[in-house]
Amino acid sequence: MAASDSDAESDVETGQGDAKGDHEGAAVSLRDVRKTYYLGEPVHALDGVDVTIPRGSYTAVMGPSGSGKSTLLNLIGCLDTPTEGEVWVNEREVSAISQRERTKVRGQEVGFVFQTFNLMPKLTAAENVALPLVFQGIDKSERIDRANELLEDVGLADRGDHRPNELSGGQRQRVAIARALSASPAIILADEPTGNLDQETGKQIMGLFQRLHDEGNTILMVTHERPIAEHAQRVIHVLDGTIERVEEIESPRRVETDLP
Amino acid sequence: MEFAESLRLSWRAIRSHKLRSILTTLGVVIGVAAVITFVTLGTSLRADVLGQVGADRTPNVYVWASPAGQEGGGPGAGAQPVFTASDVDAIRNLSGVESVVARGVVPTAAVSAGGQTVAQRQVIATSPSYFDSGGFAEGRAFREGSREVVLNEQAAGLFSPSVEVGDNVTLRLATGNSVEAEVVGLLNGSSGGGAFEGLGQSQPLVFVPTDPFYRTTLEVPGSGESQRVYPTLTVVAEDFAAVPETKASVQAYLENESDAAKLVPGNYEFSAETDQDLVDQIKELLNTLTNFVTGIAVISLVVGSIGIANIMLVSVTERTKEIGIMKAVGAQNRDVLQLFLLEAAMLGLFGSVLGTPVGVLGAYAAAQYIGLSLVLPYEWFAIAVAVGILVGILAGLYPAWNAAKTDPIDALRYE
Repeated sequence: MAASDSDAESDVETGQGDAKGDHEGAAVSLRDVRKTYYLGEPVHALDGVDVTIPRGSYTAVMGPSGSGKSTLLNLIGCLDTPTEGEVWVNEREVSAISQRERTKVRGQEVGFVFQTFNLMPKLTAAENVALPLVFQGIDKSERIDRANELLEDVGLADRGDHRPNELSGGQRQRVAIARALSASPAIILADEPTGNLDQETGKQIMGLFQRLHDEGNTILMVTHERPIAEHAQRVIHVLDGTIERVEEIESPRRVETDLP
Repeated sequence: MEFAESLRLSWRAIRSHKLRSILTTLGVVIGVAAVITFVTLGTSLRADVLGQVGADRTPNVYVWASPAGQEGGGPGAGAQPVFTASDVDAIRNLSGVESVVARGVVPTAAVSAGGQTVAQRQVIATSPSYFDSGGFAEGRAFREGSREVVLNEQAAGLFSPSVEVGDNVTLRLATGNSVEAEVVGLLNGSSGGGAFEGLGQSQPLVFVPTDPFYRTTLEVPGSGESQRVYPTLTVVAEDFAAVPETKASVQAYLENESDAAKLVPGNYEFSAETDQDLVDQIKELLNTLTNFVTGIAVISLVVGSIGIANIMLVSVTERTKEIGIMKAVGAQNRDVLQLFLLEAAMLGLFGSVLGTPVGVLGAYAAAQYIGLSLVLPYEWFAIAVAVGILVGILAGLYPAWNAAKTDPIDALRYE
């Protein structure tokens, strides 16, 4: 059962100056979202969550494992549908649309960055970056141009022909970030993006996210490392399927680096 | 997703497991090759046999009486001597009939010439018109009422030196008597002895005139008169167009008015077959044979397709993560289905494209071995390729379907 507008007053204030429960102008907005799994008895992975992610914001999600972080990410990423409530992605309600449509929204409006990079092992870096465009039916020459442009943007202009196994972890993650950007999505969802990287490389990746945010991209990042989360403007703390609190970071950490 | 891009991605997937892809393809190669080999051999065999039978097609209707319901055995099988001389005359007067050649056999023990004796079970008693179609290597046909014989080259070759025109031979009849006769003609060895002598050209044949050699007689019921009776007749129609009509009128005459109808044993029936009937029968026989053997070959094709299905299932499981990634970046179920189906179809295509020449090679080797000239069934090559693709798609359907409906969340978590 989808929640109606009348439920708006029950919203937890999570936005940053945006109107209560207003999905207009927001990159992503969740209203009273519940996700229940039936494993013998009902398990509430998410139990009434209201979140609004404004455009151009940089948000971190923290919480212990099993708190519902991943479920939240899957719902926003259109990989999953809520049992109850509304999910708006780029001003479109996606909880009730067909799987086909949802896949389309996912391809166009969401860019995923994973902890384990998740690049296609048999494709070159450039082909990996261009992959989302393939499924959108974008022209080949246009795809190649876009992929080269993005690889240059993340500092891998000379690595386009390399397979993932010929790249370092940091390089792989940068390819993955370039891929996430290829369709110019409304939001970039990063799931522990530095989890598999050493500290120095992780710092470089955080520097890249910082730059992307400065350029106007919307970023939602799941992490359980406090220092990483402090790069964001605010931190949403999730516990037992509900939002425990939203913490505003007064002065987010900045990475001082010349690297892209 | 554009087709060219799917093709590229599928091709890359195939190439990334070279050995596995080759082994899978090999299964289809063997299946297609086996089918092509047997189909090619069948086609060649049919062309060969029909070439032998059909080359000197005549407007003949072969007539004999045989046990009812008897199948196969060829013309004249089980024939009983029931056609009287009056029947022969009557049939000759039917409309559309050019001539009637009666044929009987005279049981013999042996044939002697120049002091040598060669065992010979029977000689064929017939009229001179039997040789109307020619085929003489030397000499001429015998004359009715004279002690003359015609041999084919195989029979002449039984003696050394070979019997020649003008030589005398002695026929030792089964009754114990011996009869002298002069050889007046030698039949070309490659010309067959006619439909009643069976196919092929191998056996030695000796022909004699019915008069004086053929002595099988019966009393015609109702007339009290004895006449020669023959087991087989060859009715020659005026032309090819008259063959069906002639066949019908001969059959009608035999069943309703002939002496043969009275003489024939109760459970016998008359058979009248044309060259075309014979050709059709042989065709049918060869088709059945070819289909049977091809059917066995198809089993190996089925095994090959199971190989594809198997390897595609493994491939889908192995690439679960990749499927998850593709779906996460916007691949529709349809795109994933297309990718895996294409991969399976390509395996099938390669198998059939490679299998076809291998099959032709196999057929060539077999044809060489049994001395057959190869006739290539080109339309089957196209069919083989189409079947190869189809087999790939059918085998890939379930695995690809599995891949398409993979849940991206589970797939991304898969290690």
